[in-house]
Amino acid sequence: MKLIKVDTEKAYQQLWEKITSLELAPGENLDVSTLADDLELSHASIEEALRLLVHDHLVKAPPRGLYVAELRLSDLEKISTIRLNLETLAAQQAARNATEDDLVILQTLCEEVAQDTQELFTLDQRFHQAIARAAHNNYLAETLERLYGLSKRLWFLALPYLDFLPSAVKSHVRLVEVIRAGEESLAIEIMHKHIEEFYLKIRGIIQDKDLIAE
Amino acid sequence: MKEKKPPESLVLGIDTGGTYTDGVLLEYNSHRIIAARKSLTTKRDFAIGIENVIKEIELEDPAAIQMVSISTTLATNAIAEGKGKRVALFLIGYDPDLIDSFDMGKRFATPHYFYIQGGHDLHGQEKHSLDLAGLLEQTKAIQRQVDAIAVSSYFSPRNPEHEIRAQKAIASICDLPIVLGQQLSTSLGSVERATTAALNASLLAVLQEFIIAVRRAMENRGIDAPLMVVRGDGTLMNDEFAARSPVETIHSGPAASAIGGRFLSQLDQALVLDVGGTTTDLALIQDGKVTVSEKGASVSGYQTAVKAANLLSIGLGGDSYITLDRSNHIAIGPERVVPLAFLSHQHKNVRERIKALAHQGWPAPGPRELEFWFLQREEANLEGLTDREQQVVKILRSGPKPASEVLKSLGLLDASQINLSTLWREEVVGKSGFTPTDILHIDGRHTPWDEEASRAALNVFCNYLNWDKNRFQKVFWELVTEKVIKAVLSFLTEKEIPGKDEPAHELANWFLDNSLQPNHQQLETQISLKIPLIGIGAPAEVMLEGTARTLNTELVLPPHYQVANAAGAVAGSVMVTEEILVYPHLTSDNLDVIGYYLQAREHREEIEELQEAVEAAKEQAKEGALSAALRSGAANPEVIVEVIQDGMDSYRIKARAVGKPRLEG
Repeated sequence: MKLIKVDTEKAYQQLWEKITSLELAPGENLDVSTLADDLELSHASIEEALRLLVHDHLVKAPPRGLYVAELRLSDLEKISTIRLNLETLAAQQAARNATEDDLVILQTLCEEVAQDTQELFTLDQRFHQAIARAAHNNYLAETLERLYGLSKRLWFLALPYLDFLPSAVKSHVRLVEVIRAGEESLAIEIMHKHIEEFYLKIRGIIQDKDLIAE
Repeated sequence: MKEKKPPESLVLGIDTGGTYTDGVLLEYNSHRIIAARKSLTTKRDFAIGIENVIKEIELEDPAAIQMVSISTTLATNAIAEGKGKRVALFLIGYDPDLIDSFDMGKRFATPHYFYIQGGHDLHGQEKHSLDLAGLLEQTKAIQRQVDAIAVSSYFSPRNPEHEIRAQKAIASICDLPIVLGQQLSTSLGSVERATTAALNASLLAVLQEFIIAVRRAMENRGIDAPLMVVRGDGTLMNDEFAARSPVETIHSGPAASAIGGRFLSQLDQALVLDVGGTTTDLALIQDGKVTVSEKGASVSGYQTAVKAANLLSIGLGGDSYITLDRSNHIAIGPERVVPLAFLSHQHKNVRERIKALAHQGWPAPGPRELEFWFLQREEANLEGLTDREQQVVKILRSGPKPASEVLKSLGLLDASQINLSTLWREEVVGKSGFTPTDILHIDGRHTPWDEEASRAALNVFCNYLNWDKNRFQKVFWELVTEKVIKAVLSFLTEKEIPGKDEPAHELANWFLDNSLQPNHQQLETQISLKIPLIGIGAPAEVMLEGTARTLNTELVLPPHYQVANAAGAVAGSVMVTEEILVYPHLTSDNLDVIGYYLQAREHREEIEELQEAVEAAKEQAKEGALSAALRSGAANPEVIVEVIQDGMDSYRIKARAVGKPRLEG
């Protein structure tokens, strides 16, 4: 039996979606009653979900009241540094440990064609999750999992100015090839480049357009 | 010295039936019912009716409530009305030719089923390798057309490996909820397991929304207590468990009624008849327990592997529609309508219109003129309705109208000429007609509403048939008794009642007829029921007295029999079962045994000696059931372990932990 109640799970999923897609803007106040009415869920479930989101660093809980965590450029630096290291570690471990099943999953994912940019992000996220799972280290996979939400907000901020993701998908195909071949150092190299390019692009746009504070 | 009052344990039982949602506030230890309320079931959203019932029960201190328990026809209704979510079913290692040749495809409860290579054999050995790439291709192709996925692999209770690998892979590429066959059933019947998984998948969202809505309704009322849901065999499971295995709630309503009947009457041997608004449900109490069907619950023609009470349901209730058939014989049900007495009570002009019909001379208007349509929801949203449906709504804005009049203003002769399905399903428009409840009003036996309207309606029938009222009443009650007795016979003998004119059953029919209405000069026949009848539901007293008399038995109406169903929702025990399979591990040529597998759902271990393996399985099953029962809110659960032989050298070890719900007072 899962530890999270069904309504908490639903509240968590819906709030996560709203915050990471910036529908609930960084810095916005969160009122439990209003959210419960909007989502037609119990107050208790909203409160529990918000606690989980505090743990994810997506919601801040100062002594009084709750609000959506702000976005700062310094966050981008921190997140990109840790993802760069952990994703490459995942790629290396995947090249070492991936099973036949993992390879079938990765192959299926990189053959999928997204219909719009939203879906492209979901697909990209699934691909990275599958790599993390193919590494067969659950602590690594869980740590990465918590970073996707933070990363997604930065991506959404830059989204209106972006057009580069299809090329990123190409590197997915190459990555699956080297993981299949067990080429650890190549896997590290491709993943490193892939993540670095992503954050360079995002940082460029965010600074260019002056989208967030330092 | 003043005697100290024992602490009270207040619990709230709720039953959502086809017509009414009943609620009782009950003191658990003394079985004392403190308050009982009824509200109309809102089929479009069951939670509305539940919220109404919770609102209406006066609670001095909502925080004192220690448990809320619900029985619901939600799952049964969703399946019957096709309101479940769309499901893709993956059948791993099933033989398509075999399924086709027996035409079993339609038993799966979804049109989207796909065969995938893989599966195991009786000994848990891989029959074919799993075609994971094919499975993911198919998932990609279908994922936008369905809301959930079910996976059943051949012999998965013996070895669930392919189901588990399939689940991991599907979850990696899409977000749809996934149900595995082995999570719900350890029975080896592969078709029933697949059907159970598919139905469970289609009901997941339905039951989750329901539980979320009930929790909200409880919170709005200030109730902070564990929520339990009644299973189809009358036992309780906690809400979280129910949200994940909704298929287990099939038949939970009738099961709760039977348990409530036993709880309030304290009889250990009896036949329980629950007369609701829409149906009458039969269940048998033996040795103080509701008998359980060995075959597994079946619903809308789908056979599942889920345990449920042995039940029979017939379409006869207090609000069954009384009409005349083509040969002018009285017909009752199965359609359920709003009684004319109630409609007239709410809309004053209805009585005048019925009276006018009753006074109309030759040709006397037929009973069909008594069908009224009315707007059930004023605020109803017209979007999504057809033009015709919108016209109907507009016509009914000024009040209830005879159906014939509505059709006439649309230029139609018969209701079959238009499709108004959305109006009925969304409960925008309701149908009213003559019902047993109206007859009770005329008799003066149950008169909360407008008996004058009922009386005028009876006159319409009598004028048309050229009968007097007594004759109509006599024929009507004989018909009710005949229907109930046939159901009792069929239920207890598990045999079908033959059709009236079948020559091969001439003697059986004569025997039955003569027992119902003795008419032979020399021969007397009787059917005697050796156990009492327990009547449940508001119309039970009147509707069942003829049955009890004809069956030469007593009709027991326990205190608060009108709401015994809701009492039954809290009277059950919390139950958890844990099953472990023990079966031989064979050499690859299948000739020699090299050890024994213990398969506990996803977990498998191997022990060399059979005796040792069975003992270890008993111990593990016992511990598993015990801890799960405690987590589910049982107080001092007792565990019974059963060892069932299941083929050569194979055993099914079943631990059942049962306890009263834990109430913290």
